[in-house]
Amino acid sequence: MNLFGLGLSIATLFIIGFGFVWAIRGEYYFGYLWWPYVMGFGFLLIIASLFVSSLWGSALLGIAGASIVWGSTELKEQAVRGEIGWYPFNPKPKPQPPFVEQIKKWKAPHL
Amino acid sequence: MTLNWIGLVAAVSAFFAIWFGHVGVRKIEAASPTIWLPTLIALVLGLIMEAGALIVGDLYVSAALGIVGITVLWDALEFTRQQNRVKHGHAPANPNNPRHARLLAENKSATIVNWLEREPVGQRQNLTGQTK
Repeated sequence: MNLFGLGLSIATLFIIGFGFVWAIRGEYYFGYLWWPYVMGFGFLLIIASLFVSSLWGSALLGIAGASIVWGSTELKEQAVRGEIGWYPFNPKPKPQPPFVEQIKKWKAPHL
Repeated sequence: MTLNWIGLVAAVSAFFAIWFGHVGVRKIEAASPTIWLPTLIALVLGLIMEAGALIVGDLYVSAALGIVGITVLWDALEFTRQQNRVKHGHAPANPNNPRHARLLAENKSATIVNWLEREPVGQRQNLTGQTK
């Protein structure tokens, strides 16, 4: 019996579940234009997982990183959901990320 | 120093599993005339993968099977949740699918329009032509 995969599966359930929460809350308070930083952070976690010698630590870091990269691609659609009234819309001005003008020129990824 | 590849295997498994959970489930739900068949298939596949994760000795394979298996089990639930989105107009209905055609006929909010196919504008947007 190998409990590694089963244990990771339970952790995955919670990590992805938490992904829904932070993507919704994050978009509400910060706006979707932060997506490149969120995506970069996710990739950083995945790269960092290569240097963690613990089996569990490395795997959990990898799953969290992948979930964060995915979440970064959901932020634009979540912004639309708020604007069309499916989720609460935050009318307050949102903090602008560094290089916001450059980010606006890029097409926010959505898969 | 030696690199630990288990995190990368877990990350790639998780990313593609989440991708399939979002994109694949939508496509299958839109195409399938019944909801119970894809639900049953996902349930059986997910359980087989989790059993495989328990039995297999290789840690990389066990990790991948566990991660993909749990998302496939979740996808079994998502077929019903996706059908509810179609019912409420939060996902576009496929009029060529008899089950969706029925949803379109029975629910005022169901529509073939994908309301999410637009750019954010920074303010509240009115859905024009709400009715189908």
